[in-house]
Amino acid sequence: MSLLSIHKLVKRFGALTATDHVSLAVEKGEIHALIGPNGAGKSTLVHLISGLLSADSGSLTLDGKELIHLAPHQRVAAGLSRCFQITSIFPKLTVAENLLLAVQAHAANSFRWFKLRDKDTHLKAQAWALAQRVQLHDQWNTTAGTLPHGAQRKLDVALAIAASPKLLLLDEPMAGMGPAESEEMVALIQELRHDMAILLIEHDMDAVFQLADRITVLVYGKVFAQGTAEQIQNDPRVQAVYLGQEDEVGEEGTQQEEDAA
Amino acid sequence: MSDSSIPIASTPPPLASNAHARWVSHSVLAALVVLLGAFPWLAPLLGLDYYVDFVRRILIVSMAALSLNFLIGRAGLVALGHAGFVGVGAYAVVAMVEGGFSNAWGIWLVAAAAGTVMAALIGLVAVRTQGVYFIMITLACAQMLYYLAVSLRIWGGDDGYTLYNPLVLFNGAGGAVHAQGNWLFTLVLLALAAIFLLISRIERSYLGRALEGIRDNATRMQAMGYPTFKLKLLAFALAGGIASLSGALLATQNGFVSPSLMQWNQSALLIVMVVIGGIGLRWGAPLGVAVWLTLEEILKQSTDYWHAPMGVLLIAVVFLAPKGLAAFFAKKNGVSKKQSTQRKEGVA
Repeated sequence: MSLLSIHKLVKRFGALTATDHVSLAVEKGEIHALIGPNGAGKSTLVHLISGLLSADSGSLTLDGKELIHLAPHQRVAAGLSRCFQITSIFPKLTVAENLLLAVQAHAANSFRWFKLRDKDTHLKAQAWALAQRVQLHDQWNTTAGTLPHGAQRKLDVALAIAASPKLLLLDEPMAGMGPAESEEMVALIQELRHDMAILLIEHDMDAVFQLADRITVLVYGKVFAQGTAEQIQNDPRVQAVYLGQEDEVGEEGTQQEEDAA
Repeated sequence: MSDSSIPIASTPPPLASNAHARWVSHSVLAALVVLLGAFPWLAPLLGLDYYVDFVRRILIVSMAALSLNFLIGRAGLVALGHAGFVGVGAYAVVAMVEGGFSNAWGIWLVAAAAGTVMAALIGLVAVRTQGVYFIMITLACAQMLYYLAVSLRIWGGDDGYTLYNPLVLFNGAGGAVHAQGNWLFTLVLLALAAIFLLISRIERSYLGRALEGIRDNATRMQAMGYPTFKLKLLAFALAGGIASLSGALLATQNGFVSPSLMQWNQSALLIVMVVIGGIGLRWGAPLGVAVWLTLEEILKQSTDYWHAPMGVLLIAVVFLAPKGLAAFFAKKNGVSKKQSTQRKEGVA
C-alpha cells in the first residue's frame, strides 16, 4: 500500500476544472515530483492535499486513513505537513519563536493559559534541534522577517517538519533562490528524505531530476505523464510541453490558480 | 522528532527577552496601586471627593478595555460588540438582585460566568468569520443583546433598572458591609491590577503564543496543526468574561443599569480608547481610557460641544502616534524601539 494515495481528485472553479480526476501515489521513502507548466493546477493540488481547499470529489488516503473530510490541522496530526510557495513564516517573531511555535503545536497543549511557554525546556530543546537541522542556529534570536530569502525558505521548511510528518509537501522550495541557496536546499531535502516521503513541486528541472524518484506531469489539471525520473526525462511528449510547443497552455488557468492560492 | 542523525551540539541559547521592560511595567503597576489605593482616603482632605467616583469609573472601564485590547492586539480579533458583554455583566447583577440575592461576591462571579458563556455562544458563530464579517457579526450580536434588554420589562426595559439596595460584601460585627464607597474602590483597583497581571501572564502562556501566531499568520498556524478556531474561541470567551465582570462592577458602582450601556457606540468607544492607548501594548488600554475619560470630563465642564476636540484628539493620535500613546511612553522609558514595534509585546 502506498503511503499517500490520491484517487480521482476533482476541483472546479466555475467552468475551470483546476484538478481533473488526478490520481497519484507516493510511496514510503520516495521523493515524488509534481511538475507542469504554469497554471497546470499544481498549487491547487497541494491545497487540496493539505486541506486549505476542499475537493469536489475523489479520495485521499495517508497510510490507509481517509483524509478528504478532515480540517487542515487534523491532516497535520495524521502526518501530512506542507510548505508554502510564497514563504509563510512569522516575520515579526525571532527564528527561535517561530520554531517554538511550530514545535508547540505537537509537543504541548496550546490551551494552557497560565503556564509560561518560554520556560519550557523540552520545547526549547526541540526547537534548537530543529534550528540546527536546517542550519539556522546562528540566527536563533534574529527577527525572521530580516533573514535573507534563502534562510526564510529554510525556516518555512523547518516549520513544516516540526510535526515529524510521514509526508512533506514542498511547494516550490527553490522559488526565487540563487544557485548557492538552491544547492543548500537540495542538500536539506536529501537529508530530510531519510525521515519522510516528499511530494515536491518544483520548476527547477535540475533539482527535480537530481532529487525525484518518480515524477508526475500535470497539464490542464490532468495527469499528462507519470513515471520514473528517467522515463519522464526521455518522454518526447513531456519535452514538447516544456519546450513551449503548447505555449498557450494554462494562460487562462494561471489567474484562476493564483486566485485560489 | 526523528533527528537522531544530528546530535544536539549544546543546550539552546537563551531567548531574546524583554524582562527589563516587564520589570519596569510591574514597578509602575505597584506604584499606581499604592497611589490610587490611597486616593479615596486622601481625596476628602484635598477636596477632591467628587473625583473618587470618576477615578473608579476609569478603573472599571479600563478592565473592559484591557480585555478588548487582548482580543484585538493579541488574537487579532477586532470585536465591535464588546459593550454587549459589559451589558451582560450588568444585567446579570440586575437578574440576581431581582431574584433576591445580595451577596456581592456571588453576584460578580455569576456575572463573569454569564459573560463567558455568552461570549462562547456568540463566538461559535463569530469566530468562524474574519475581518469585516467578524466585525459585523460581533456588532449584530451586541445589538441583539441591546434590543433584548430594551424589551425586557421586568428588568426595566428602556427606562433602566435601579438597584435600590447596595450589594453586601460581608456581614461584619457592626452589620453588613456594602459594596460601595472606599471598599468598592479598593476592590475595583485590586481586581483591575489582578486582571492586568493575568492578561500579561496569558500573553506569555502557551495560549498567548499560539494566539500571537494566529494573529500574524493564521493559515500557517493551521498548516502547522493548530486548531485555530478553538483557540480563538477560548480567547473570545475569556475576554467576554472579563468585560462582563467590569459591567457587573459598573452596575454595582452606579446602582443603575440601562440598555444604553451596550449600545453599539459604546463598543466603538472602547475600540477608540484602545487605539488611542496603543493596540497590543500592555498599558495601552488603561492609558487610553484614562486620557479619553479625563479629557471628556474637562471639556464637558467648559463646553457643550466636547465631541469635536475629542475627534481631533483621535485624529492627532492616529497620525502622530499611530502605535498609541503607550508606545510613546515605551520609548521614553528607554525600552528599545525594536521591542515595542517588532515584538509587539506590551511594554510602556
